[in-house]
Amino acid sequence: MKAFEWSSPASVNEAVKMLTVASHGDIDEAPRPIAGGQDLLTTMKDYTSRPTRLVNLKNIPGLNRITLNAHGLTIGALVTLTELEEHAGVRKSFPGLAEAAHSIATPQIRNLGTVGGNLCQRPRCWYFRLEEVICLKKGGSECYAANGENKYNAILGGGPSFIVHPSDLAPMLVALDATVTVVGAAGKRVIPLDKFFTLPSEGNIRRENVLKNEEIITEIHLPESPLAARSTYLKFKERESLDFALASAAVAVKLEGNRSVSAARIVLGGVAPIPWRVPAAEKFLIGKNLTPEVLAETAKIALADAKPLEKNAYKVPLAQTLVRRALAKVGSV
Amino acid sequence: MTKSRDDREAQKQTDHDPGRRRFLKGVGIVGAGAAIADHLWIEAEAEQEAKTQQPLSGNVKVVLDVNGQQREAQVEPRTTLLNTLRNHLDPAVTGPKLVCDMGTCGACTVLLDGKPVYSCLVLAVDATNKKITTVEGLGTPENPNAVQAAFVENDALMCGFCTPGFVTTISAYLKKNPNPSLAEVREACKGNFCRCGTYPRVFEAALAAAKGSQA
Amino acid sequence: MQQQPQAQPSPSPKPKKKIRVPRVVNGVEQMVEIEVDADAGPGWGPNDKHKLLNHRMTRVDGPLKVSGAARYTYDQRLPGMLYARILRSPHAHARVTKIDLEAASKIPGVKGIIPAPLMEVRFAGAPVAAVAATTPEIADDAVRAIKVSYEVLPHVVHAHMAIRPDAPKVIAEENNLQEKGKNGDPEKAEAAFANADAIVEGEYITQRIHHACLETHGMVVDYRGGDSATIYASTQGTFTIPADAAKELELPESAVTASVEHMGGGFGSKFGIGLEGFLACRLSKQTKSPVKLMFTRYDEFVMAGNRSGSWQKLKAGVKNDGTIVAMKATQYRLGGLGPGSQAGQPYIYRMGDTYREVYALHTNEDSSVAMRAPGHPQASFAVESLVDELAYKIKMDPVAFRKKNLRDEVYHRQLERGAQEIGWSRRNPVAGGNPGPLKRGMGCAIGIWGGGGNDQCKVAVTISRDGSVLVAVGTQDLGTGTRTYTRAIVAEELGLTIKDVKERIGNSKLGAANPSGGSTTAASLSPSVKDAAIKARMLVAERVAPLLGNPKPEEVVFADGKVSAKGQSLTWQQAAAALPAAGITSHGEWRADLQARGVHGVCFAEVEVDVETGHVKPIKMVHIQDGGLPLNRLTMESQINGGMIQSLGMTLWEGRVMDAQLGMMLNPGFGDYKLPGSLEMPEMVPIIDDDDKREAVIGIAEGCIIPAGGALANAVFNATGVRVRELPITPDKILMGLMNTTVLSRG
Repeated sequence: MKAFEWSSPASVNEAVKMLTVASHGDIDEAPRPIAGGQDLLTTMKDYTSRPTRLVNLKNIPGLNRITLNAHGLTIGALVTLTELEEHAGVRKSFPGLAEAAHSIATPQIRNLGTVGGNLCQRPRCWYFRLEEVICLKKGGSECYAANGENKYNAILGGGPSFIVHPSDLAPMLVALDATVTVVGAAGKRVIPLDKFFTLPSEGNIRRENVLKNEEIITEIHLPESPLAARSTYLKFKERESLDFALASAAVAVKLEGNRSVSAARIVLGGVAPIPWRVPAAEKFLIGKNLTPEVLAETAKIALADAKPLEKNAYKVPLAQTLVRRALAKVGSV
Repeated sequence: MTKSRDDREAQKQTDHDPGRRRFLKGVGIVGAGAAIADHLWIEAEAEQEAKTQQPLSGNVKVVLDVNGQQREAQVEPRTTLLNTLRNHLDPAVTGPKLVCDMGTCGACTVLLDGKPVYSCLVLAVDATNKKITTVEGLGTPENPNAVQAAFVENDALMCGFCTPGFVTTISAYLKKNPNPSLAEVREACKGNFCRCGTYPRVFEAALAAAKGSQA
Repeated sequence: MQQQPQAQPSPSPKPKKKIRVPRVVNGVEQMVEIEVDADAGPGWGPNDKHKLLNHRMTRVDGPLKVSGAARYTYDQRLPGMLYARILRSPHAHARVTKIDLEAASKIPGVKGIIPAPLMEVRFAGAPVAAVAATTPEIADDAVRAIKVSYEVLPHVVHAHMAIRPDAPKVIAEENNLQEKGKNGDPEKAEAAFANADAIVEGEYITQRIHHACLETHGMVVDYRGGDSATIYASTQGTFTIPADAAKELELPESAVTASVEHMGGGFGSKFGIGLEGFLACRLSKQTKSPVKLMFTRYDEFVMAGNRSGSWQKLKAGVKNDGTIVAMKATQYRLGGLGPGSQAGQPYIYRMGDTYREVYALHTNEDSSVAMRAPGHPQASFAVESLVDELAYKIKMDPVAFRKKNLRDEVYHRQLERGAQEIGWSRRNPVAGGNPGPLKRGMGCAIGIWGGGGNDQCKVAVTISRDGSVLVAVGTQDLGTGTRTYTRAIVAEELGLTIKDVKERIGNSKLGAANPSGGSTTAASLSPSVKDAAIKARMLVAERVAPLLGNPKPEEVVFADGKVSAKGQSLTWQQAAAALPAAGITSHGEWRADLQARGVHGVCFAEVEVDVETGHVKPIKMVHIQDGGLPLNRLTMESQINGGMIQSLGMTLWEGRVMDAQLGMMLNPGFGDYKLPGSLEMPEMVPIIDDDDKREAVIGIAEGCIIPAGGALANAVFNATGVRVRELPITPDKILMGLMNTTVLSRG
C-alpha cells in the first residue's frame, strides 16, 4: 500500500472539498473516499489503486441510518451490510435485499463493509487485481481476459473489457427500482441505480459507474413497491463459505389474485459488467402464471443474448437455473 | 425503455429542479423533495456538531484501547491495525496472525466494539476510540474462556495458526447467539479458514462451549 | 541462553543386527540398511494395555495456542529488527540486464538491499532483489523503487503447449520433455489387451496445488555482527537450518542455533533455509541487525513451492469376471522447473501385464516441492478413476471389483468397514440414476504409504530430585501433537500423569532429530523417547531399590504416581528424593523394533450434486487408517480429518491458474485460491483401524491424504454420470460435462 494522507471531515461538503484536487496523476492516484474500506484497502494493497489521500466518511454524522416509511426505504450509504441484513423492517418488507446483503462475503466483512461501498467495489477479474498486469481497466491496451483465463468473466455486455460487476446488492437494488443520491462539487444528483453503472463500451473504461472522482454516495432510496414483498436474491458461489457470484439472480414479481404476474423484475449478477436487467424476460412474464414451462421459457429469454467467451459457457445454464429457481421461490411465497 | 425507467427519469428531474434548492449550514446542497424520503445526513448534520479532524500523514501517534488498556504507537496512516498490534505496540500483541493480509482468511480477526472484523482491513488511525479485543483479551492459558477451553478439550486445533481467529469469531458469536445450531456455527465462522483441517472439531468445540456456558 | 548439548555416553559394544528402514529426504522415501541392537529391550506391549498412549489426550500446547500466547516465528520481534521484502520478476522467462538500486536506497528507513546477480529468471515471481527496512510498509515502498531492466525471452507455462516440439525451451539446449523411466514390456501389455472383454482409456489431469501454510515461509535471523546467531525458523527441520545459515553468515555451524517453538504448517514445503533464509541471512549480515523475512502471501504462492501436477494417459483392459488383465500408462510429471513427483501406476492394484513410461514435462513455473504424500494423491486419483470406470463398464460393484484386484487382506477389511460406515447399500448402482436435480452418489478409493522411522533422534530424559521430569529433543511439532506424545511416553513409562512431565523441543542445541517429512517423525522420535524413558526408569529403580527391599530394577513397578516393589511403595516425590543431587539423565536411541512401516488407508465419500448448477456438496467422508500403535487417538483422528479435508480441497476447489500469454499465476491469494471453509465441510468420520495389532509406531499423516480425491471423484460420477477426469471438479466442468452427455445421448 502506498502512503497517503488521512482526513476525517465532519460534513459531506467538506468531504467533497477534500476529494477535489486541481490535478492528479493517474485516475487511480486521485483521492478516494473510504467508508468500511473492505474493498478499497484490498485494491490499495495490490496497488490497483494508489490514492494520495483517503477521505474518511465515518466521521460525518447521519450517513448510517435506515428509514422505512410509507415512501419506501432509505438507506444511508454508511449503513453496514450487517445492519442491513439484520434490520427487521428490511427483512419483512424487502426480503430480497436482506438476502442479498447476507450473501456477501463473511460476517467480518459485513460488520465493516457498507452499502455505499458495496456498490462502488472494483472488479474481481484476476488480471485487474494483479499488480503486475496493466490491463485495459488500468490504463493498458488489452483486456487479457478476452482471450485468457475467462472462466469468471462476462457473458453479457462485455467488450472491450469483460469484467463482471462484483456487487450483490446492486442487482437486487436495480430490481427494486432504487435510486442513489450522489453529492459532488456541482451539488447533488439523484440517479436511478440502473443508470449508475456503466458498460465498458459506454462509460469511462477505468471506472464501473458514473461517479466523478470527488462525488460520494450519501444514500440509496427504494420506493414503496408491491414488488418488494415478493423479491429474492439467489447467488451461486463456487465456494459457499467465501466467494463472489459466478452468477446470481435478483427477482421480484407482483402477482394478481389469480396468481398471474402483473409486474416483474429480473436482474442478473455475476454475468455482465453491470447488473444485467432483462426487460424481454420481464415482459414475457406479464399476464402469465409461474408454471414450470413459463419459468423455463423466461430463463431462456433472459440468457438469449449471452455471448460466452472460451471458458464461461457454463454460466448460461447456471444463470438460467437461478432465474427459474428465483421465480419459483417468489411465486410460492 | 421500460416504464419504470421513465418514472425514475421524471423523479430525477424533480430533484434537480432549481426552484427546490435550499441551503443548509451554508453548504450548497440540493434538499430533499417531500416525495422521497428525508436526506438523513442533512438532518443529522444540523443536529450534531461533528469535528473535522486534522489530516494525518507521515508518522502519527495513535492511542488504541486494546484489551482494556490504553496503548500508544507511532504509525503511518497506511499501517493496518493488525500490523500496529504486532509490529508497533510494545509489548506486542501477536495473537491475531497475519496470514492473507487481504481479508480472506480470518486469522487476524479481532473484536472492534465487540464485533468480529479483519484487523488487516482496518487502519490503525481508524481504530482509535474503539474497544479492540484480541484473543489475548478473551482468556489466558491458565484462565481460558469457555471457547478456548472447549478448543483444547475437543482438539479443535493443529498447527494453531488459524486458532486465535476462530476463537475470537466464535466467542463473539456465542455472545450474540448463546444456543446455536451446527448450521449457525458454520455460518458464523465461514470467514475463518484453516489449512490443517480442524473444522469438524471447531464446530464441536463451539457447540460444546455454548452448552457448557448454559449449564 | 541455550543449554549446551549433553555429552552422549560412549556406546558399549553390543550385538547388532541389520535391518532395512525407509529414510525420507525432502519427502522422497528411500530404503536404507541400518544396524540396531540385536537385544532391543522391552517393547510397547499390547496396544490395548496402555495407560496414556492409545488414549485421547488433549494436546499440551493447546492452552498456549488458543489464547494467542504461543509464539511462532512470525511473532518474533527483536530490538532493532528490520523487515524484509522481496522484489519478484514479473516475467516468466527473462534475462536481468540491470538492477538500479539508487532510488530505493534513498528511501528513509531502508537499511539494506541485496540485488540478485544479473541472471536468467525462469518463472514469474523469481526473486530479483530483497530489501530490509525499519517497517514492512517502507520495505514495500523500497522494492517498488528498484528499477530492473529485463530482456524478455519466450516462455511456456501450460503443459499441453510445453510438449509441442516448437514450444519455447524452458531451459536452453534442453528438451522440455525428459524421460524418467520405463517399466514393463509394452508389446506384452498391448497383446494382453486382446484378452480383455472391455477396455477403458482416459487422460487424467491433476492440477498444481499449494501447501498454503497459514504461516508463510520465513525466518527471523538474529545476528548483530557478533560471533553467534539465532535463527527463528518456520521449518519442518530444526536441524536443516544451522549449517546453511552458518555458511551465509560466515560463522561456524556450532555458533548458529535454530529455534522452532511453534510453527504454522509446512505440509512438506519447509526444509532447509530456503530462499527466505538465504536472503534473510544476507540482509542480516549486511545490516548487522536482526532481520525478519516472512514471505507475503503472494510470495508464498509463487515461490514457496507447490504440489506437482500430473497428466496421465491410462489404458486398461478387464475381463467380465472383474479381472484386470492389462494396463498401459504414460505419466507426465508437471513440476515446473523441477522434476515433479508421481507414484508409479498401476498404484497398488494387480493389473496383469503392465507398461508405463514416465516423463518430466517442464514449464516456466517454480519447481514443485514435496507435499504431504508426494506423488501419491496424483497417482491415486488417476488409477482410482480408471478402476471405477472399469467396474462400471462391466457392471460390477466398485467395492467388489476393487477387492477382486487387490491381494492385501487389509484393504479388504478396510473396504468392508468403509462400505458399512458410509451406507454403501443405499447407493444407486446406476450412475446419475437418482431422480431430481439434487443427486447423491458414493465412491471409494485406497492409498498406501510407508510411515516408518529412522535412526536420527537423540532424546534426553532428566529427572530431578524434586520429582520434575524433563524430556528434551530438538525435534519440531508441526501441529501433529509431537509434544504431547513425547510427554506421554515418558509419563506412562514412569507411572506419572502427562502434567508431571515437561518437554523441551524445537531447538538445535537439544538432541538431534530428523526433519518431519514423509510421516517419519512419530516412528523416528517415539522409539528414542521410549528408550530414554525406559533407561530413566531403570536408573530410578536402581536408586530406590535399597528403599524397597532390594528388588531387581526390572521388578520395580512404576504406576499411578508410585514406585513399588516387594509390597512396599514410595510416592514419586519420595523416589525422586533418593536420586543424586544432580538428578539423573538418560539418553535414548532409536530402536527399529519399536516402529514399523507400511500403512494402507481407505476413503469413502458421499456427495450431492446439483445438476442444474454443477455444485458438488460433500455429504459425508469416512477414512479408515491403520497405523500400528496409535500414540494419541485424539490427535490421530484430527490428522485423519485433516488429510480428508486437504484432499477435499484439492479435489473440488483448489488449483493454481496460469495465464499462457503473461506466464503468471493469476490467483496468488486466498480470495482466488479457494481453500475449503466451514460451509464446505461434510460430516467426517475418522476411523482408526484397531484391527491393526502391530505393537509399533507408524506415521499416518501421508496415508490419510491420499485416497479421498478418487473417492470424491467417483462419488461425483455415481451421482451424475459425468466423469470429470481433471481436477478440481468445479461447477463449470460438471455443467459442461452434463451438456456434452446430453448432446451425446441425443445422438
